[in-house]
Amino acid sequence: MYGLEDVESSHDVLVIGAGCAGMRAAIEAHDAGAEVALVSKLHPTRSHSGAARGGINAALGNAGADSPDEHAADTVKGSDYLGDQDAIELFCAEAPGDIYQLERWGALFDRDAEGRLAQRPFGAAGTPRTIHAADVTGHVLLQLLYEQLLARGIRVYEEYFAWRLVLDDGGCQGVLAWDLARGGVRALAAKAVILATGGSGRVYKGSSNAHACTADGMAMALRAGLPLEDLEFVQFHPTTLFPSGLLVTEAVRGEGGYLLNSGGERFMRHYAPEAMELASRDVVSRAEQTEIDEGRSLGGSLLLDMRHFGREKMLERFHGTRDLALTYARIDPLERPIPVRPGAHYHMGGVATDIDGRTEIENVFAAGEVACVSLHGANRLGGNSLMETIVFGRRAGRAAAEQALGKSGSPELKPSERSDGEREIATLLERREGERPKAIRDQLGASMHENFGVFREEAKMRRQLELLDDLRERYQQVLVEDKGEVWNSDLTQALELGFQLDLAVCMVSAGLERRESRGAHSRPGDYPERDDQNFLKHSLVRWADDWVDLSWKPVRITKWQPRRRAY
Amino acid sequence: MAAAEARVLMQVRLQIERSDPASGETRLQLFELELRREATLLDCLEQIKDELDGTLAFRRSCREGICGSCAVRIDGRTALACRTPMAELVAGGRIPVIAPIGNLAVVRDLVVEMEPMWQKMRAVEPFLRPTSEPPGDGRETVVPPARLEAVRKEALCINCGACVSECDAMAVSPEFLGPHALAKAWRLVGDPREEENAPRLKGLSGEHGIWECTRCYLCNERCPKGVDPRDAIAKLGAEAFAAGVTRDRGARHASWFVTSARTTGWLRESELVVKTLGIAVSVTKIPLALRLFRRGKAPLPLPRHKARELEPARELRRIVAGQDRRGARGIVQGERVLARIELVRAPEQSLPEAEDF
Repeated sequence: MYGLEDVESSHDVLVIGAGCAGMRAAIEAHDAGAEVALVSKLHPTRSHSGAARGGINAALGNAGADSPDEHAADTVKGSDYLGDQDAIELFCAEAPGDIYQLERWGALFDRDAEGRLAQRPFGAAGTPRTIHAADVTGHVLLQLLYEQLLARGIRVYEEYFAWRLVLDDGGCQGVLAWDLARGGVRALAAKAVILATGGSGRVYKGSSNAHACTADGMAMALRAGLPLEDLEFVQFHPTTLFPSGLLVTEAVRGEGGYLLNSGGERFMRHYAPEAMELASRDVVSRAEQTEIDEGRSLGGSLLLDMRHFGREKMLERFHGTRDLALTYARIDPLERPIPVRPGAHYHMGGVATDIDGRTEIENVFAAGEVACVSLHGANRLGGNSLMETIVFGRRAGRAAAEQALGKSGSPELKPSERSDGEREIATLLERREGERPKAIRDQLGASMHENFGVFREEAKMRRQLELLDDLRERYQQVLVEDKGEVWNSDLTQALELGFQLDLAVCMVSAGLERRESRGAHSRPGDYPERDDQNFLKHSLVRWADDWVDLSWKPVRITKWQPRRRAY
Repeated sequence: MAAAEARVLMQVRLQIERSDPASGETRLQLFELELRREATLLDCLEQIKDELDGTLAFRRSCREGICGSCAVRIDGRTALACRTPMAELVAGGRIPVIAPIGNLAVVRDLVVEMEPMWQKMRAVEPFLRPTSEPPGDGRETVVPPARLEAVRKEALCINCGACVSECDAMAVSPEFLGPHALAKAWRLVGDPREEENAPRLKGLSGEHGIWECTRCYLCNERCPKGVDPRDAIAKLGAEAFAAGVTRDRGARHASWFVTSARTTGWLRESELVVKTLGIAVSVTKIPLALRLFRRGKAPLPLPRHKARELEPARELRRIVAGQDRRGARGIVQGERVLARIELVRAPEQSLPEAEDF
């Protein structure tokens, strides 16, 4: 814990969020000669990057011929042609070098028989390209980057909840953060700020994301006037455990698990008679949602049946899945099928950036899930998001350092900014009557599933915007019961809910205007086809007068012209 | 069907140790609530905070045993709240007591000050210092897959502090580096890409280092990720010996066990004291020794304590030496590890019957 003299502090580069992207950015900014600090509401190794299991993609060519170009082609196609191809090409070209550097730092990747980095096949990749560390790749990288942070003595403001970017005419002056451990508003000044706060999955009730994934950075950027890009694109994973949203590995379907509806029917025969349960993520998610919508579910869940695997296969190959079902559903999959449903998994959209993490505000950068480069376009490929945190974390760190080092003097936050922040917190803490966050949060989560889930349609999205208007109204009287200073997570959770509500409005607004079906944005009822004529472009959402201003920007195409996306 | 049953509720009661950060006073508070039957302890804490008492403080994030935030003590045993089904805790009408983890100061309710644990982690300089030049082709260092197995378990650590909470040695010697930091140290000492380990091992073998572990095995027992920190400490000890780092009292103590068993088949306790502490310090222990002898708590140094049959002890030593199990590769600790080693044996190799042992 740090002393009180640090209540006011200033840095060259301040990174908000300490997952893989944030730590990689901080390391690079440090190595580029800048003085760096991280601000994180969690200790760095508690970050959600640690939940990434499968791996990280780079065209090393260790398990068959491969090239950055093939990696790029797969990514472009996976994105349903919405990814910016210059960013994708650069990403795929730089990924191998980053992998070798991680290995040099000590990453514990799995090896092939020759002792080289092993690569496994992954969805929609033409060749085995995914480097991995058993099924804990994200965990291993998160620990590794923390080690490298310690090796450099980079400072972390741990359990500081950043909630506001401070701006003036000259750009961003720093951030305001609530110090969880001791209580109190801390003003942290910086010459450059990098947002690396991760995703927004908790906007949905059923999400594979950690409790901490509450769209903090996206909402802070939005409130600072920055545009958010392609927010309508949310990837749903077809097998998240009901109701917790915990991920059930795709390998269960890969090894022959059945999906059943309430009538005990293998319903995939109606949607993908050939591939059945092995169809791609989006196809299975849509099939499940159709079953749910048409009343053939069990209170909103389908069943994943593994009983026919038998004891031996279950214990040998699916020990972890059985453990998950026993612990979190109290069901032994040897005896009964487990309840699953499509759950929000990854947000393709985020703060609009260029290939160096730059945003519209000169000294504000973003990297990782919070950002939209756009690498994933309308649909992300498995294994690309961990790689994104490294490549674009590094690039944002380098660019932010260069910019900070070009500025003289020492940044300072005006005392009035801090007192503004203190007033905002005081208003929340002093309120004696109002509504507890739970009902608002639950309603937000459930209604986003209902009205902005796997399928979207005009009427439901309009209904959702009305509902969000109402929820945001109720949020004005949200009641923080804890009035204390020390470890007041009741306060920070209320602030998180505010972020989520703002973001949800932007997501639905963008979805309403995208009158086509592309990647994860599916409108079978009113606009079932992709429409390159009108919508081969990125949506941009800004906050204007407490509501949404929507505009578009073109997709950057280098050499892959849009074609029908079929596998 | 399953989903319908998922909504079946259960009535639970539990007591939570609450603390006031200002006064430092603690009290037990009873909560009674209805939960979904598949709820975990973390779900229970969330529901209490949402519906009954917004002032309850606890850490949490991933809710699936990955982030390491939510370790607590449940009736004295440390576990992750998110991995603990509530139905098991309240079975038979039990009212569990939930308290903050041990050996770290309480900040508020279930939140403890983790900084001492991080300090110790930093003290072992937990980052790889590759000893070889990067490969000329700019690609990865080639490492035989088997060599990386040595640090696989330790790399699973999520820094939850369960081992620290349970550590007997840290309870009496707060400066002991402890199971968490030492498991991290092995993660690096055991990595084949860093080969010159003597300086690290020297540092780890000093005061409050590896030899301060009392081998109670609670860290292995309670670790939610199977890291087995005590095994890591044993591996560090073995590597310290292999590297000739044997000056610490703990190392001398361990050497004497081996010498004594080899020469007379028994542990000669009175000589052990001299071999461990040296003659000068041992002299100061004479009054204690005399009291022990008088009460029959320790055998007299003469005649030498000698086993009736010396050969089995020597044979065991020869077997181990013959297998070239020097250093960390020779370490076999605890029954759980033995069980695991049995499992990875080739299937055609039949396991010996229990009577063989």
